[in-house]
Amino acid sequence: MGAIAAGIAAACAALATGYGNGLVISHTVDSMARQPQIAGQLRTTMFIGVGLIEGVPILAIVVAFLVMNK
Amino acid sequence: MGGDAYTFNLFGLTFNITNMISGLVVCVIVFFLLFGLSRHIQMKPKGGQNVIEWLIDFTNGIVRGQMNREVGARFSYFIFILFVFIFVANQLGLILQVGWNGHELVKSPTADPVITLTFSLMVIVLSHFAGLVNNGIKGYFAEFVSPSALMLPINLIEEVSNFLTLGLRIFGNIYAGELLLGLLGQMAFSHGWPTIIASLPVEMIWQGFSVFIGSIQAYVFVTLTTVYISRKVSGD
Repeated sequence: MGAIAAGIAAACAALATGYGNGLVISHTVDSMARQPQIAGQLRTTMFIGVGLIEGVPILAIVVAFLVMNK
Repeated sequence: MGGDAYTFNLFGLTFNITNMISGLVVCVIVFFLLFGLSRHIQMKPKGGQNVIEWLIDFTNGIVRGQMNREVGARFSYFIFILFVFIFVANQLGLILQVGWNGHELVKSPTADPVITLTFSLMVIVLSHFAGLVNNGIKGYFAEFVSPSALMLPINLIEEVSNFLTLGLRIFGNIYAGELLLGLLGQMAFSHGWPTIIASLPVEMIWQGFSVFIGSIQAYVFVTLTTVYISRKVSGD
């Protein structure tokens, strides 16, 4: 049962972080195409956004590791 | 590389020797790194002085992006050393892991939630203290009920959630990275030569990715620190 729980937690974490990061990065690419001169600032903000978004799904992965062997 | 931390009990509290030794190793590394890079300061920098000037410029840029010059001047040293310490602490577990007698002696100190929540608590309390010093007691309490008294529970919940997410973000990333390193190592030595050859590139890719993640998390932590401090000090 622990393995099933770990699988569900990891799958939900992967879906969440993929969807969230995809939104941020796609909007960043759109904005870079509109205004190439601020591409550096956009890239910096994108990394901050990705770091923030990946915070909580990583906790889901940690939960998956914790219940994996139970 | 497996095994749990050395702990011992004293006066009913549990002390974690692994975290102490790892933190001490990080302190020694940071000290010798900065000490070695900052010898022979000249007007025209060359070599190590370039590296340390680039680092200080980098963190000064983070601070300047959030606060104006005289407020930023008080915090730029703190942000610099916080960034260097958390960066080295995140990378330590990828370079050096020492175990002895079934216990861990040296690993990333930030792979423990207690350490990262301590950093986060220190930063949040610092931001509150800076707001108190700058705005006075009335100004500090007035911020909790601005723009209306209905915002009071939202502001309180925001403080708690900032504290928790700031600390647990680094913990989750670094702990998952180290755990996966350990699992890949176990898989490598499980069936002899074929698995060693197969998991060598996977382990290298994962270590490279962990270096990237550790740097990004240190940068995000420091940026969010300056954002929280500047929100308390200047209120916007």
